[in-house]
Amino acid sequence: MSSFDIDNPAPRRHRPWTAVERAFAAVGLSGRALVIAAPAAWLTLLFLIPLAVVFGISLATKQFGKPPYSDLLTTGDGTVQLTLHLSNYVRLFTDSLYVAAYLNSIKIAFISTIFALLIGYPMAYFIARSSDRWRNILLMLVILPFWTSFLLRVYALTGFMRGNGVINQFLEFIGFQHVINGYNAVLGWAGWQMPSLPFVMMQTDFAVYVGIVYTYLPFMILPLFTNLVKLDGALLEASADLGGRPMRTFFSITLPLSMPGVVAGSMLVFIPAIGEFVIPSLLGGPETLMIGRVLWDEFFTNTNWPRAAAVAIAMLVVVVVPIMLLQKAQDAVQDTARTK
Amino acid sequence: MAKKPQIAADTRPWRDPSAKPFVRISNVTKKFGDVYAVADVSLDIYKGELFCLLGGSGSGKSTLLRMLAGFEEPTSGKIEIDGQDMTGVAPYNRPVNMMFQSYALFPHMNVEQNIAYGLKRDHLPKAEIADRVAELLSLVKLQDYGKRRPDQLSGGQRQRVALARSLAKRPKLLLLDEPLGALDKKLREETQFELVKIQETLGVTFIVVTHDQEEAMSLATRIGVMNYGEIAMIGEPTDIYEFPNSKFVAGFIGSVNMVEGVVTEDEADHVRIRSAELGCDIFVGHGVDCAPDQILWWAIRPEKIALSRERPEGDANITKGVVEDIGYLGDMSVYQIRLDSGKHLRVTQTNTIRGNPDAITWDEPVYCTWHDNAGSVLTV
Repeated sequence: MSSFDIDNPAPRRHRPWTAVERAFAAVGLSGRALVIAAPAAWLTLLFLIPLAVVFGISLATKQFGKPPYSDLLTTGDGTVQLTLHLSNYVRLFTDSLYVAAYLNSIKIAFISTIFALLIGYPMAYFIARSSDRWRNILLMLVILPFWTSFLLRVYALTGFMRGNGVINQFLEFIGFQHVINGYNAVLGWAGWQMPSLPFVMMQTDFAVYVGIVYTYLPFMILPLFTNLVKLDGALLEASADLGGRPMRTFFSITLPLSMPGVVAGSMLVFIPAIGEFVIPSLLGGPETLMIGRVLWDEFFTNTNWPRAAAVAIAMLVVVVVPIMLLQKAQDAVQDTARTK
Repeated sequence: MAKKPQIAADTRPWRDPSAKPFVRISNVTKKFGDVYAVADVSLDIYKGELFCLLGGSGSGKSTLLRMLAGFEEPTSGKIEIDGQDMTGVAPYNRPVNMMFQSYALFPHMNVEQNIAYGLKRDHLPKAEIADRVAELLSLVKLQDYGKRRPDQLSGGQRQRVALARSLAKRPKLLLLDEPLGALDKKLREETQFELVKIQETLGVTFIVVTHDQEEAMSLATRIGVMNYGEIAMIGEPTDIYEFPNSKFVAGFIGSVNMVEGVVTEDEADHVRIRSAELGCDIFVGHGVDCAPDQILWWAIRPEKIALSRERPEGDANITKGVVEDIGYLGDMSVYQIRLDSGKHLRVTQTNTIRGNPDAITWDEPVYCTWHDNAGSVLTV
């Protein structure tokens, strides 16, 4: 007997979800609305409301007690009074510490992003071009460090960079001091004296760059990889066929077509690097001024929650506004390309 | 559908043993791992030819083309283009351009930039590039589309941009990988003739890879049929169709009826073959290189067989069967005739009379006859 027996149809299956769906539909909730409502509720509860609370605190002033900030709403004489203090924001502009911290954070994040791009692009390109068998292994190696604690990985870098760390010991072992001496004897007269071993790397901006580039490199590689792996090999062959040498092909074809990956990877490195706190604290020196550390100090050392909240909100603006502008520019470019 | 006789098609340099080939492929073999993609292929192609490499998928035709373009190096053997050895010459240094099957248009450049790409690599002056691009756009009738991007074009327009781009550098040799494969049937037929026209106007040598035998027949001056990495036959379209050299070529091009037989008479001016499958003797009106009692094959095209209700005169080339099926295609009808041996013959008849009431119909017993040189005797 075939399964398409017209006279004896299969018994209708019991479908409990249909009943649930009907019940929701009775109160005006379709499946579609529910699917949208779940993430919307999540974002409201865990992102928008906390953000509003932080914004509220940033408009209060510091006071002793619990909580350590003034109420926005005060009642008395039968009236409700709303007091908004803008002093925290004003202070961000008048105290050069904050401006310097923001600028330095952006500078460090920017330079780190450039280096992550310069190191990550060739790696992503190589992984995308390797055979299927190797590709997964190489991708695994990129992702593997995530399985160890972030803190441990950053701390492990000190083992490499400290005075008697791996790098300095290695340089001493290969007799690098002679190279330094030779260099200083020949070229050092111009004031570019090289310091002697051991090199001081810890508690410098250099260590912070190394730390940021090292820990955020996978965020650069992965979006670049997903972009480059889709690149049609026939386009590269077409370029070669038309007389494009490999370098020309890279700059005319590969790079422009991988721009979405470059932008995505750079954003994924740049944005978290601005607010980075752990890396400058562990690897940077006292002069490494970054907004994450300022925030920490305001919050925990000075117990100035309103000021810390203002710093956080201002950072959000510093990060979000460029992204929005960039997105707008991208949309505009795409629109003109479409209408042309 | 025969091509207007002109240039290479007219002079037929391949018939002249002293003519110098433009592309010389000598004993070229390409191995991928243990697999022979191309096995010991030797092939001469002459200037101004439109040569078609025809074969099924995996026959090695695309690999051969890619070796000409320089994307693959031969494992052994030599390729010469215009007397120049191409061994170790990078694709960007070859006097060859290719039109890709996927067209491979640069998606981030507009039509003009795509066409100009190769010219810019040659560092031509800007004005000359602009002139050349305009000239090519009018050649492929896309004058108003220069500023569009590839994703704003139809399939046929993209195909023409790809052609214009590959012609931009005025290559001596143009390689086309399934140039019409992505187009629908009607557009393909139109483009076919346009392609031949452009080729004849510019006098460029074309090598076209295709799996479509109809395309190959209507485009080519000569066809190279490939099978398992080897060249099965090289010849003009009529040679390939009418005088196939093997069972493979006969079966690959067009439809064919093939029967097995035994040689009973082997004379200088004729051969007689007894075929149990066919249920009659086959009389071949020319000498064949074979021996008495040799088992061989005889192939005949469906349109070479005539059907009749009355038994024609003669003692050979006549067999009897019953019409089992008729496929009406409008311009012609395809008859499936079941012979007494159980073998089926495919016979086509042109429908010259409108709504013929007297046409041979289902289940009718009929006689099939053919001329004494209508079929091909095949030993391999």
